[in-house]
Amino acid sequence: MEKLLREMIAADCQEVVGSSPEALDKLRNRLLYVTGGTGFVGTWIAEMVCYLNQVHGFGTGLILLARDLDTFRKKAPHLVRCPEIRLVGSDVRDVIDLPSEVDYVIHAAATPDNRQHMTNPISVMDTITRGTATILDAAANLPHLAKILNVSSGQVYGRQSLAGTAITEDTVGEIPVNSITSVYPGAKRYAETLCSAYWSSRKLPIVTARPFAFMGPYQSLDKPWAINNFIRDALTDNAIRILSDGKAVRSYMYPSDMAYWLLRMLVDGGSGMAYNLGSPYGISLREVAEKVKEFSGMASEVLVRGMHEDNSVFVPDPGLVSASLKLEVKVDIDQTLKRSLRWFRETVKR
Amino acid sequence: MRNVIISDATLRDGSHALSHQLTKGQIAAYAQAADAAGVPIVEVGHGNGLGASSLQVGLSLLDDREMLQTARENLSRSRLGIHVIPGFATINNDLRFAFDYGVDVVRVASHCTEADITERHISFTREQGKEAYGVLMMSHMAPKEVLLDEALKMQSYGAEAVIIMDSAGAYLPTDVMDRVGHLARSLKIPVGFHAHNNLGMAVANSVAAVEAGARIIDGASRGLGAGAGNAQMEVVVAVFERLQIKTGIDLYKALDAADIVEKSIMASIPYISSVSLVSGLSGVFSGFSKHVTLAAIEYGVDPRDIFFELGARKVVGGQEDKIVEVAMELKDRRERG
Repeated sequence: MEKLLREMIAADCQEVVGSSPEALDKLRNRLLYVTGGTGFVGTWIAEMVCYLNQVHGFGTGLILLARDLDTFRKKAPHLVRCPEIRLVGSDVRDVIDLPSEVDYVIHAAATPDNRQHMTNPISVMDTITRGTATILDAAANLPHLAKILNVSSGQVYGRQSLAGTAITEDTVGEIPVNSITSVYPGAKRYAETLCSAYWSSRKLPIVTARPFAFMGPYQSLDKPWAINNFIRDALTDNAIRILSDGKAVRSYMYPSDMAYWLLRMLVDGGSGMAYNLGSPYGISLREVAEKVKEFSGMASEVLVRGMHEDNSVFVPDPGLVSASLKLEVKVDIDQTLKRSLRWFRETVKR
Repeated sequence: MRNVIISDATLRDGSHALSHQLTKGQIAAYAQAADAAGVPIVEVGHGNGLGASSLQVGLSLLDDREMLQTARENLSRSRLGIHVIPGFATINNDLRFAFDYGVDVVRVASHCTEADITERHISFTREQGKEAYGVLMMSHMAPKEVLLDEALKMQSYGAEAVIIMDSAGAYLPTDVMDRVGHLARSLKIPVGFHAHNNLGMAVANSVAAVEAGARIIDGASRGLGAGAGNAQMEVVVAVFERLQIKTGIDLYKALDAADIVEKSIMASIPYISSVSLVSGLSGVFSGFSKHVTLAAIEYGVDPRDIFFELGARKVVGGQEDKIVEVAMELKDRRERG
């Protein structure tokens, strides 16, 4: 990876850790084990650990478990060279034991790509359900286990009413059980319930994060999500198309905030608790598209087709994370989009 | 007033009716006329879509590049569309060059229960910044619950609309209302409908589709299309005007375009022949009509028997070789008494 991009990510990490790295002191000289370790979440955890080690001398070890290591080696060779990082190639369902020195586990093995959910629903569900059980069984045998962080999904909240209010952790929405669209949220709900069962019966220290939407480095622009398409179309100078009336409200968190929040939830999250992980600042899709157009400097038009109304709101309520973990968003939506555009411009150039 | 996008299949589905022998002059003349009429999307190509020219389903007079280039040169307002069936069309050999020729809308089609095969073609189209529609062919062969399941897959792949095709012309308006309505209520993207006229229902079915929530309607000038033809576009436009459904198409100019089709393109006006009627009743792809007629002559069997046997076997587009197999079996059965 080019020096410019590495410096950009280091600056992002510096910004969120700030001058108070002691908030993560519990990670010093500990060993983390991350499933789904080469995905978007795992890569950013690796960037953050690498930063903490290099700049603040944390001495934190990191094991990244994933099926596809070759892609990661090409994507982030600087992380592969990081002496504290070890790669393990395996399907999460095939794990038998974790190294006995492991202190913390982050379980993030599942693809949020809804194309995969539709095309390989059985495999997706099996990876989430059996993978979670496999990791919990293995973690239960660790002699020094400090905490497990289960990376769930904001989709466990199911369909929301159109009241337009932010989603709190105790919100319960409908997930139709007989629809292909329920494969991912249904499996994630099952995995969360499984974690609760292990927490209750085996007294495992488990905390859950429920991610919403993100944008930034290491995202893939081929994902069929609105903001990814907006950026891709802007960078290729194609019109940005919104099929609906553009009024749907979403929020986007920058990944350095995401990685920092995840590590804080890991070390300070209450066992048995679930926390929202996402920006509480909602923005309409139309506004996002207009900002992408403005910040990209491209001539792309924003075409709002208005073929249907969409007043849905999918934004997390920050109350619990703010009150109990004192977490706040450091990178606002404008910076999120500007930095993302810069990243993708550079990576496309490469 | 409701808005509906008309997608014009004259130079694509109509290609079936001409055994895929469209000339450059015909494409140029019709594209100019459709463009002048303000038709939003003009599809061009072999009847079975990009990359489909072959001995099995029929060889095109022109190759895909010539057709696309000719159409592109004669369209300014209208968007250029193509029909793509993964398998006939590959991404590297076919789809990639289509974008070089200025294609705007890619309609990625599969049999109604096989949407999985459309993922890469839809994704690739979106990655190029172009519009991708998913198309479920032979939709009468699956219940509405299955159609929705397949349509949801296409939606997840990035399709910006899902078109359900009545490829056999087998629907009645109540069937259309039921299926289109189910999809329109459940999808986040617009639903479209593509009619065939085997039972004389193409225009009525198109109206039913809009009443049920469809936002995209396929048509063809003079109904030029496989079998008994498609919904006759100029009639659809006129009927929609009466119903205060806005298409943005200039009716007089649409009639001019239809006159060009009648005078310069079609060998005969599509009508509901006995064979086409049986095709609709048996639920067999309209594009099989010419193949069935030829096989019936060659093996001395009744084409209606071939159609009903194909329907019983649930044969779909791309299985044209089954036509001869069935004809031979019918002949053999008759000879054995």
